[in-house]
Amino acid sequence: MHELSIAQDLLARVEESVDSPQARVLRVTVEIGSAAGIVAQSLRFAFEVIARGTRAEGAELRIVALPARSRCLGCGILFEFDGLIGKCPACGRLGGDLVSGNEMILRSIEVADV
Amino acid sequence: MPAARTINLDHPLLASNQAAAAHNREHLDARRILTVNIMGAPGAGKTALLEATIARWSRPETIAVIEGDQATRRDSDRIGAAGARALQVETGLGCHLDALQIHRAIHDLDPPAGSIVFVENVGNLVCPALFDLGERVRVVMTAPTEGADKPLKYPPMFRAADIVVLNKCDLLPHVPFDFEQWTEFVHSVNSRARIVLTSALTGEGIDEWISELARRRDELRAESAR
Repeated sequence: MHELSIAQDLLARVEESVDSPQARVLRVTVEIGSAAGIVAQSLRFAFEVIARGTRAEGAELRIVALPARSRCLGCGILFEFDGLIGKCPACGRLGGDLVSGNEMILRSIEVADV
Repeated sequence: MPAARTINLDHPLLASNQAAAAHNREHLDARRILTVNIMGAPGAGKTALLEATIARWSRPETIAVIEGDQATRRDSDRIGAAGARALQVETGLGCHLDALQIHRAIHDLDPPAGSIVFVENVGNLVCPALFDLGERVRVVMTAPTEGADKPLKYPPMFRAADIVVLNKCDLLPHVPFDFEQWTEFVHSVNSRARIVLTSALTGEGIDEWISELARRRDELRAESAR
């Protein structure tokens, strides 16, 4: 349910990034690390609901999933994975120290004047 | 219809929460106020551990507690009855506390320099993990009744912890809970987490929990003296 808070923050950033008073937002692109704990479907739903009545109403929310990376605590290799927790492909050990995968970034918006 | 144009951006989301958290941290650290964010599922024993902590603390009046719950003032009433100051934040539809709520609560409570502030987050193993409050210490509480696999099921929460408290440790002989496996699971998602076993009911482990907090308070004091 924290996706609602994130959607509110996202909408605020989108609205302040629109570059002309006539512009409407057609598409919003965000990058979300796979270990960040964000459910894409919930974020999309929350964004759609709160964007109603704003210049981002009806905008498509494109969510690009970034793979996460952990360093294995057993053999020390760096490996990529999708999801909240990974498994070392070399030694099979679960988890590890998360190196990246918590990203939540507004990458671009596509706008058109109406 | 005119052509669409793309505006490239690089805005981290929740940056406003991060900024508020950084502000809180600066304010609290400068006053040597140890702030401890306690997270965990409903019923893990967060309020009970705080009651036991207050009862054992040498000067309970130097403890302030910010209580986050969806509804009611029950927890802040319990903390008040235990002898510490409490401020209830009813989050309504919110599933977590955020740094702005803590900012306002700190101003209302106005904790004195050198004191300790506990934040009892909304009972939830998911959402609070994402919201930095400006705390000095993050604690995740769990209990044997929740099962040994919770660190693997809720990795962001356990990853965020400085201290993982296994409360209700008096139940260990009575419930099917593989303690070795649980410890391995905690360290598989968070190799630096300190594990402390407590029972808020019997008082077991409370001294160790308090000395963990005292150690972090002393670190904070030593840092700000530099």
